[in-house]
Amino acid sequence: MPAKRVIPCLDVKDGRVVKGVQFKELRDLGSPVELAARYDEAGADELVFLDIAATQEYRGTQEAWVREVARTLSIPFTVGGGVRSVEDVRRLLRAGADKVAINSAALERPELIWEAAEIFGRQCVVLAVDVARDPDLGWRVFSHGGKRPTNRSAAEWLTCAATELGAGEILLTSIDRDGTLAGFDLELLDQMASLPVPVIASGGAGSLQHFADALTHGADAVLAATLFHEGTILIPDLKTFLAESGFEVRPC
Amino acid sequence: MITILDYGAGNLASLEGALDRLGFQHQRAERPDEIADKGALILPGVGHFEAAQKALRARGWWSTLPHFVAEGRPLLGICLGLQLLAEGSEEAPRASGLGLLPGLVRRLGPGVKVPHMGWSQVRSTYAHAGVPDLKDPWLYFVHSYALDVGPETLGIAAHGRPFTAITARGRVLGFQPHPEKSGPAGLRLLRSALAWMGETTPNDLGTIQ
Repeated sequence: MPAKRVIPCLDVKDGRVVKGVQFKELRDLGSPVELAARYDEAGADELVFLDIAATQEYRGTQEAWVREVARTLSIPFTVGGGVRSVEDVRRLLRAGADKVAINSAALERPELIWEAAEIFGRQCVVLAVDVARDPDLGWRVFSHGGKRPTNRSAAEWLTCAATELGAGEILLTSIDRDGTLAGFDLELLDQMASLPVPVIASGGAGSLQHFADALTHGADAVLAATLFHEGTILIPDLKTFLAESGFEVRPC
Repeated sequence: MITILDYGAGNLASLEGALDRLGFQHQRAERPDEIADKGALILPGVGHFEAAQKALRARGWWSTLPHFVAEGRPLLGICLGLQLLAEGSEEAPRASGLGLLPGLVRRLGPGVKVPHMGWSQVRSTYAHAGVPDLKDPWLYFVHSYALDVGPETLGIAAHGRPFTAITARGRVLGFQPHPEKSGPAGLRLLRSALAWMGETTPNDLGTIQ
């Protein structure tokens, strides 16, 4: 078993790392390269960049910062947001991303996952999924940044993606918990623990113990954004805590 | 001058970035006649064994690499690069490897998540000048197949079963992990390997603690 991973997530808009509550009042936190280098030094195991406004015109800017991050970083990184085609995946991998996260486009056209995995290898295809609790489906999958409900259940979609479509990893975000600091949705993680690919737990982290809980409930990696950006929890402290809690982590 | 074999398998940006940070001079070569007059060769690689083999053949590398090695050129294979240098792989049962490193590559599992993706600790078996003071580093892996452990294995990692993380034969070194993606420990590993291969940097004291 590889070490459990700690992954800061950075939202990027127009080539800058931003922070905002539900896309309102975006605050500029710096350049992707600067922040990436800082997290690399702090002992993060991997980074996820989610481009929240990746449009056609903006692609040049995106490739430029992805290339710069690849040259600077000594740890792997994933880029997601607005990935719609095999060509988008190719572009980001060429620019130096280690993995590419696909979300809404895969819900519209699931074969995209299979095609990308077939061409580039499943290790670089991450399926990002936003889910919320639902009386009928257990957990319902949402598209378009968690705004649009689909008729898929999380269990069905993730099983299909990981087994039939060949996604290499699942980035699983609980919409209910995102931003609440109330802890990860542990029942959701329990449900997904038997998937044959690694699961990154996202949404809800508020304390050191929350991260340990997610790992106990089957997550292979834990992701958070604001908590790390604001320095509420420092990565070396988190890793020490996880190691003391009995998890294997890479020492900082 | 280090030559990176550019045969279309995988992105080279991270590897070049790591070499820049360490201060090594490097260039890309798409074909054998483009390599530097002397210095180490690096065979990177991600993706499928057979596809990579085809690409190496198409660009004339498959037949020339053994000659370069026979002439004493140091060669470092990384990830799929290591696997291509081995004798063969289950991923492409009909194709053989270059046989510049001993052993066979077999699929990981069952019973573990494949690909093996993430950080694993590498335990050293015995000292080798190419990878001195290996202090059981944590390194980053992304692979579904792995080289069996053999007498020439220098570093062992495990995912379901133990496998070769680092191996050497003569002037040929193989790394299953990605040193360019493995933080400071990876950069140290890359630096020591290239120094052993005769590469120097303007700042040989280095900046990596």
